[in-house]
Amino acid sequence: MDQFLNVLVVGILLGGIYGLVSIGLNLIFGVVRIVNFAQGELVMFGMYGSYYAYTQFGISPYLSVLVVAPLVGVLGVAIQRLVIQPLHDESNMQIFATFGLLMMFQNLMLAVTRGEALSIGGQVGPAVLSLGEMKISMVRLVTFVVTTLITIGLHLFLSRTMTGKAIRAVTQDKRAARAMGINVERTFLFTFGIGAALAGLAGAMLTPIYSITPAVGGNFIMAAFAVVVLGGLGSVWGAYIGGLIVGVVEAFAGFYIDPALKHAVWFIIFLVVLIVRPSGLLGQAGAEEVGFREQN
Amino acid sequence: MSSELLSVRDVSKQFLGLLAVDSISLSVRPREIVSIIGPNGAGKTTLFNLLTGQLAPSAGEVRLRGEQINALAPHARAQLGMGRTFQIAKPLIALTALENVMIGAFMRHPALSLARDKAMAVLEKVGLAGVARRRAGDLTLSERRRLEVARALATEPEIMLLDEVMAGLNQSEVGQAIELLQGLHAEGLTFLIIEHNLKVVRAFSERVVVLDRGQLIAEGTADQILSSPAVIKAYLGEGHQ
Amino acid sequence: MNKTEQFSRPGASPQAALTAAQTGIESGRRALLHYLGAMALVFLPCVLLIDDAHWLNIIAVTYLMGGLAAAWNIIGGFAGQFSLGHGVFFGIGAYVCAKLYLVFGFSPWATMVPAALFAALVAVLISWPTFRLRGPFFAIATLAFNEVAFVIANHFDSITGGPRGLQIPFKAGFSNMIFRERWQYALLMFGFAALVIGVSVVLRRSRLGYYLLAVREDEDSARASGINVLAVKLKGMALSAALTSLGGTLFAMYLRYIDPPTLFTLQDVGVKFALLSLIGGIGTIGGPMLGAALIIPFENFLRAELANALPGLNLAILGLLMVLAALFMKRGVAGAWADLMRRFSRNAGSGR
Repeated sequence: MDQFLNVLVVGILLGGIYGLVSIGLNLIFGVVRIVNFAQGELVMFGMYGSYYAYTQFGISPYLSVLVVAPLVGVLGVAIQRLVIQPLHDESNMQIFATFGLLMMFQNLMLAVTRGEALSIGGQVGPAVLSLGEMKISMVRLVTFVVTTLITIGLHLFLSRTMTGKAIRAVTQDKRAARAMGINVERTFLFTFGIGAALAGLAGAMLTPIYSITPAVGGNFIMAAFAVVVLGGLGSVWGAYIGGLIVGVVEAFAGFYIDPALKHAVWFIIFLVVLIVRPSGLLGQAGAEEVGFREQN
Repeated sequence: MSSELLSVRDVSKQFLGLLAVDSISLSVRPREIVSIIGPNGAGKTTLFNLLTGQLAPSAGEVRLRGEQINALAPHARAQLGMGRTFQIAKPLIALTALENVMIGAFMRHPALSLARDKAMAVLEKVGLAGVARRRAGDLTLSERRRLEVARALATEPEIMLLDEVMAGLNQSEVGQAIELLQGLHAEGLTFLIIEHNLKVVRAFSERVVVLDRGQLIAEGTADQILSSPAVIKAYLGEGHQ
Repeated sequence: MNKTEQFSRPGASPQAALTAAQTGIESGRRALLHYLGAMALVFLPCVLLIDDAHWLNIIAVTYLMGGLAAAWNIIGGFAGQFSLGHGVFFGIGAYVCAKLYLVFGFSPWATMVPAALFAALVAVLISWPTFRLRGPFFAIATLAFNEVAFVIANHFDSITGGPRGLQIPFKAGFSNMIFRERWQYALLMFGFAALVIGVSVVLRRSRLGYYLLAVREDEDSARASGINVLAVKLKGMALSAALTSLGGTLFAMYLRYIDPPTLFTLQDVGVKFALLSLIGGIGTIGGPMLGAALIIPFENFLRAELANALPGLNLAILGLLMVLAALFMKRGVAGAWADLMRRFSRNAGSGR
């Protein structure tokens, strides 16, 4: 029973990580309606950014995030303006473009860092919380808390503020929102910026946990896709719950079945959901089949 | 009942929170011309989508020549003789007009040369033989509309469902189009058309059916309908007079 | 009544006579001659004059990748279904034939067709449920399949050799598909590219080819024309997968070493096929081969020059090209060329 609990906790904390990485992707996807293949690379930038802040200036990632996240956010705005916006109706070309960005970012970092793995794991917050027999890593717990807070914050932002409501209006019906005087292009820019900033934030939070390589984004992107699809496109709480589910399933699969097949779990979840209920757990049924056709 | 080519019984379509089509019944006999009119958002195109199978009805049934076709996919209905044009025609712009019509001709003529011959014959019939080799992207609006009709004709349908095929055409183009349709009708084709242009409705309909907010509110001959106060009230026609 | 009589009525337009030239649809035979001849013309001098193993290698890889890109183009270009998971079929061709050769000594020439059929079957099975997904979701689903294949290949190491992969010892012989001379491999790859392009030419002029194009343009309109959209997509996918599998077999026998990263790394395989088609001209017949001819030697050069100093920069540049092509040159070099030709001929006096 203890083992079960342990695995459960590990899974939940892992779920927090996946949720954090997926929040930005989910937001971008729900609003701008594009799948940002380069999202994992934005997380990667966040990780490198906070790594350098720590090793060069001694600033803890939990502090440097205040600078790193906005910087990545600005990059996100640039991407939306220069690459996504011109392709606003061409979903096939968007796939190429964002995948091309993925290749660019990943390999530029490879060229710059020559691929060596960097890590500050164990230096920042090596503390471990002991609850009875269980040992819980502090940094993972903090990450989980952060994820929860961000999800709550995003939910409040979207439902209480004017900008948030504008974003939701655009998500539901671009044409109607435009007719109501909402500047849709500006909303997209803003949303992509936030989505990117959230990715940067995730990167900063994950720096104490994972070792950093240029390809680290790839570790998260498939899990993030699985989370977004599972939780329901665009639904904030859906991504949170989806993250938890993916994390828990992965932990249990890894422990009880086979560690090597752990990663296959994401894809399997992902494929099963896409085929059986493409709108996810909390999204609107048929949303991605109808809502995708044209939303001008 | 069996003399009807197309019969629609109490067909409804419910989207989340919106009853787009509310228990509509309608029938079309062979060689008839029936027009569907109504204000924007009345559910006309949705009804078409239900008839051709793009959408499945929430209730009711559609019968073709007495056989229930609710479960049939759109391509199967096309093979049974339902031809259909779309409001916003999307031809393959990089291909020639001839090739576009061939796409329809292939249904009954799988071999390339036969499909090509059939397509050419159809282009002749609609008066586009002169632009057979022109890229569809370079055609005028009126030519594109004809192309859309040609593509559907190439499938050798028994009944043609035309969705606002006159939209955007000027008066003389409309006149030519009506002539074309009348010619096709004389050759035995049945028509069910959605139209905004009341001149067309008057010139080219035997029966008119009026939709408003998903419901069928009136049915009769063109004269009856176009002078009915109820219809005029529900629908301030946007026709060229 | 012969065809010309049918149209010699008074009032029939002069363009009614239906020779292939009149209808603007080039005859299949002439088109085959045109494309394959062009390729042969480029190929033969290279092979006859170049003795350098390094260059012959580049030529061989270029033709192989050109063929693979053209195979992808059947479903990605003609039908507009952007699969990023073609690595799965590539891997099937490689593993099946390599394994059967290593264990039973079966000639790859004999096993490559059954492997291709198997790949086609797998393609139909995995595409059946995923084809109803729109655009990016379809792409993601294909990515997922590619990743699943990677995991499977790594895991079932008794069959695939796992992470260590499969090594094919050098034993020259035609039936082994292992050759002593580089130019023989170049010829083999040329043959593959010619096959795929030939198939593309024939396909493009067939009912299935037109149906694929119609499905790409507008599925609803296609259905109204009597097209069974799902069946058409599956057929296109099956054909594309089978041809890709053939390429995988050739690849395995050329490199004589295959492992999961080599076969399933997206940036080198699955996405590369799409990238080459995009740059050369998606949906055209010559585009994929053109893209390969432009990119493969260039990439080789980049890798050679930069690999030590700046690892990965070659891929970064490819990524940049992908972004730029998506933004500014969607129809690729072939498309841009065709646009130019059309504008030129229009201005040259045959105006409207």
